[in-house]
Amino acid sequence: MQPMFRYTHRDTPIHRLHPLVKMAYVALTLVLVMYPITPRDMPVLLTWLGFSAALWAVARIELRRFASLFKILLGTFIFLILIQGFTYRGGHTPLVVLGHLKLWEADLGVMTREGVWFGLVLCVRILAATSALPLFVMTTRASAIVTAMNRLRVPQTASFMFVSALSFTSLLFEMWNSIVEAQKLRAFDIDSMNVFQRAFKAYVPIITPLILLLFRKGNDFQIAMETKGFGAPAKPTEIETLTTRPADYAWLALIVGVFVLCTVIKFAG
Amino acid sequence: MASDTIISLEDVTFSYQEDVVALRNLNLQVRRGEFVVVLGANGAGKSTLCYLLSGIVPHIYGGRRRGNVSVAGLDPWDEPLYVTSQHLGVLMQDPEVQLFMPTLKAELAFGPANLGISREEIARRTEAALALTRLQGLEEHNPRDLSGGQKQRAALAAVLTMDPAILVLDEPTSQLDPLGRWEVVEAITRLKEKGDLTIVMTTHETEEILHLADQVLVLDRGATVLQGPPAQVFGRSDRLEQAGVKTPALIQVRTDLLAKDGGAPTRRPEGEAGPDRALAGLPRELSVRSVAQEIREEVRAGRLTVLPEAVPPPRPMRADSPVILEARQVTVQYPGPPKVTALRDVSLQVRQGEFVGIVGQNGSGKSTLVKCFVGLLRPQKGQVLIHGQDLRKMAVGAIARRVGLVLQNPDYQLFTASCADEVRFGLRNVGVPPEEIEARVQEALQHVGLAEHAELFPFRLSFGDRRKLAVAATLALQPEVLIMDEPTTAQDHRGRYQLVELARRFHEERQTTVLVITHDVDLIARYAERLIVLCEGQVLLDGPTATVFGQVETLRKSFVVPPVAAQLARELESLGVPPHVMTLEDFYRVLRPAQREVVA
Repeated sequence: MQPMFRYTHRDTPIHRLHPLVKMAYVALTLVLVMYPITPRDMPVLLTWLGFSAALWAVARIELRRFASLFKILLGTFIFLILIQGFTYRGGHTPLVVLGHLKLWEADLGVMTREGVWFGLVLCVRILAATSALPLFVMTTRASAIVTAMNRLRVPQTASFMFVSALSFTSLLFEMWNSIVEAQKLRAFDIDSMNVFQRAFKAYVPIITPLILLLFRKGNDFQIAMETKGFGAPAKPTEIETLTTRPADYAWLALIVGVFVLCTVIKFAG
Repeated sequence: MASDTIISLEDVTFSYQEDVVALRNLNLQVRRGEFVVVLGANGAGKSTLCYLLSGIVPHIYGGRRRGNVSVAGLDPWDEPLYVTSQHLGVLMQDPEVQLFMPTLKAELAFGPANLGISREEIARRTEAALALTRLQGLEEHNPRDLSGGQKQRAALAAVLTMDPAILVLDEPTSQLDPLGRWEVVEAITRLKEKGDLTIVMTTHETEEILHLADQVLVLDRGATVLQGPPAQVFGRSDRLEQAGVKTPALIQVRTDLLAKDGGAPTRRPEGEAGPDRALAGLPRELSVRSVAQEIREEVRAGRLTVLPEAVPPPRPMRADSPVILEARQVTVQYPGPPKVTALRDVSLQVRQGEFVGIVGQNGSGKSTLVKCFVGLLRPQKGQVLIHGQDLRKMAVGAIARRVGLVLQNPDYQLFTASCADEVRFGLRNVGVPPEEIEARVQEALQHVGLAEHAELFPFRLSFGDRRKLAVAATLALQPEVLIMDEPTTAQDHRGRYQLVELARRFHEERQTTVLVITHDVDLIARYAERLIVLCEGQVLLDGPTATVFGQVETLRKSFVVPPVAAQLARELESLGVPPHVMTLEDFYRVLRPAQREVVA
């Protein structure tokens, strides 16, 4: 399993884009998905998701990575659709009837079309929200992220924590894979287990060594960082020179424009 | 303290918070530009010395110190780490934990940027460090994507951009393959040649540092055992052996076989301490050829006798035994990007009862091949068969019962609260009856010498014991094939064959088939009857170990160098030394002193 959050060096308009513009895109995404949600929001969310997909394409990020994101979230999506399908209060068109169990306004024995639809809206919202940050970190150099965060007056420790957490994610994935492989060698196959078996039987033996190893690696990282002057009272040097180009303004206008369009559709519709 | 002394330790004793004394009455004076090598078994205090010099103790690991320490005129105990780090850079064993930025360029700029060094100066230092470590062109790569040797050189470059006057290297090559080791040693050699850097390096690889060291310090349980120039220290092979330090093989041969004082050859009886045989006249650049020439002269002078029949030829390969494991035209490709073909059309058979060594550089396909053998990877093309049965049709449990793989890092293989539970884990998964489980747990723990720690939390064991526990957990499943991945990693000279010895016993007692992946050619020479060399995803050589080690030119393609004894045997073939001699023990059986005289 490859980590999602990983910078990939390419020369595309998105890679060249000023990091603050990309940060604005992430922030607007979060604002959009925070709007109160209704079943009628599907066009708005699909518009933004389509816009994000276009940005992914321009950045030449492989579809495989988007598919990985989708795969990770698939369990959550199924869960949401089922839960909403059976519990949505505004549901009145039955799709599947298992029986009747009235609880307040919902009939828990009946899966409704409106409930499934609302579940799908929630799924698209999650997908839209989670596709923004990977685009940012996969197309922006660490030094550019740190410089951009400094411009926003984020403390150096916090910006470094963000960047090193991205690196730690890779390590976490590698360690997770190694432990799962070692367990298979002793006839314990997490991949063949269902969600419930995993929750009750599989995760405990993985998480115990994982946490212990993370503590140990964390200690080693601390040594590596502090013996390289981390924490010195000097003002850290900004490695990346961030210059603003006309294209950055154009992209910012496009991002804000799509955001405004989505907002108008949502509140006018 | 003399004016050119840059490191000074006077009567230093250090103990960690658990009151374990790690260093005892240590004295060390290092001059500017000097290269000091620190040797010792695991637990001798080498890393503690590095921590003490760099200020990692007490600022990260606590403890108590007595005595005086001065590093570039500062006491690291009293200075914050960011102050000491401007004078002394430290490189640790594991490159993985020293690289935390997403690009090499950012990694190299991290240290000086923290100190507020100007951007132009950082660029200059980065360029110089990249040139010195030969990493130009990789600036925008993620350091995690680099090879093992490149990663360690990247970590070294990141230390060099701090522009230190002193460099402390804590076993910088211990986790690398031969090519990676060569690359790192080459970079260190260039640093030494520059002459303005003081270097303190700990290692187990004595051969690597022979040409570099100005001063050697040997520690044993925190105390100094030997200290002085390399010729003096390496002449004391008896004391080195006691301290768990390997004497470089060529020096060992000179010490054991060659008289440098004009007297008779003096191969000493085993266990008997002798004089500092290699002390006098140790050439700076020892080579197989020069030592072979010296031996030739001793034979001509009648002081050494060649007894070719003393080492019989190895028994032929087991062509009659049934095939237990087979790869048929196996191709494995990793998706990338970029796509990497790890195995290309590999076909080979392993027969029951064989002890097979597998060598090759990192990325040659060794791990991929054994992962196919245990079902962790499914080849895109070809088949892997156990007893003729396709692995794809077998469940994970069924494979685990037949083929056991002990991975390199034990910490990924231990998941439970006690050593006994660790062994029970696999047995329960394969459905062994409860009454049999307990018997097998006892047997496996006894086999590896951990019976008395049965209820101990596995992570409280030492690294070596954690590895033994991982072996016990695998052996308890009683596999027909046992595979060990790098069983000598992070082990010192004394403990390096402990795991393979466990495999050998299992092999002899139960006729288990054993496959060992290793970079240690001495291990192969000692244990393996057959050797497979992989190179760029293909089988480069496969045959009896002695025959494969004879293919020196072909081996060079995969950076595999035969053991010193095998090289000497080839050089001395004209004298009648059989070419199948591969270990020093066999070499000494063939070359014996004409008169058995011991110089006191």
